[in-house]
Amino acid sequence: MHELSVAMSLVDAICEELPQLGAVTVRSVRIRVGALSGVSMEALMFAFDVAADGTPIAGARLIVEAASGRELDLTAVEVWDEPAHRGSP
Amino acid sequence: MNPRIVEVRKNIMKKNDLAAAALRDRFRAKRMFVASLVSSPGAGKTAFLERTLMLARAERRVAALVGDLATEQDAERLRHSGAPVRQITTGTVCHLDAEMIERALENWPPDEVDWLFVENVGNLVCPASYDLGEHMRVVLLSVTEGEDKPLKYPTIFNTADVAIITKIDLSAAVEFDRQALLRNLGSVRPGLEVLEVSAKTGDGFDRWMALVAQRAAAARAHVHAPDGALA
Repeated sequence: MHELSVAMSLVDAICEELPQLGAVTVRSVRIRVGALSGVSMEALMFAFDVAADGTPIAGARLIVEAASGRELDLTAVEVWDEPAHRGSP
Repeated sequence: MNPRIVEVRKNIMKKNDLAAAALRDRFRAKRMFVASLVSSPGAGKTAFLERTLMLARAERRVAALVGDLATEQDAERLRHSGAPVRQITTGTVCHLDAEMIERALENWPPDEVDWLFVENVGNLVCPASYDLGEHMRVVLLSVTEGEDKPLKYPTIFNTADVAIITKIDLSAAVEFDRQALLRNLGSVRPGLEVLEVSAKTGDGFDRWMALVAQRAAAARAHVHAPDGALA
């Protein structure tokens, strides 16, 4: 199975979005996985944690919505805005 | 502080799709026809490709890329044909993807090529998800594998353009039920072009070579189309 490859592609796809979001922490990630996409949801969830480790999105929760077609889409990212820098303590 | 949800709507496989689209453009610019071969391990892709390269070399400039987890054995074997062959060893990855093809095409092939064949890793599952920019995807299955293979692996058969039944010289020995296989192929992918060959005896290769020539000519005819998508 190749869910790790797919998970790595997913992590890349999310990280590509980060610059536009400002200083954020990613809390969760929503994806849609089609039944005909050739990807196992369970395996992908496991692989996601592995793939996200060591990246800016490590620790983010993966939320999978099942769909009927071939889609394998990143639909939304849930973020916390990091507090503005307060200056030296 | 509350979290906010940012809508994205992006295909996860976008990176591979973009790489595949770039390959497609490159193949068009080089007037190179590209066919990929997929099958389970042991269906006879390499033997099939070996004979294909030998026959094709008589009239065309051909080359091959072959993917395996380990060893260079397939590439070495295919080089006996005299065609340039490059091995892609994936390590642990169970399929070829567009970026691997991109890397393999750096400074290769050494000369102009009309037809490039890409032999995927032996696997009927994962290759279905990875567009390699090819013009034609060929799925091979041997008479020894059982007639229900298409029903068990619908996705790969759905993404294929041609199915090739291999090792027909063994049909009698395994009591191959041709009608059952053709029926199963037709139920998973109606209208799929099916050829039957034996790489050992050469049976069926005339038809296969004619098919490749025809598809390659059709691909060339699209070269000047405004929207170049051929798949």
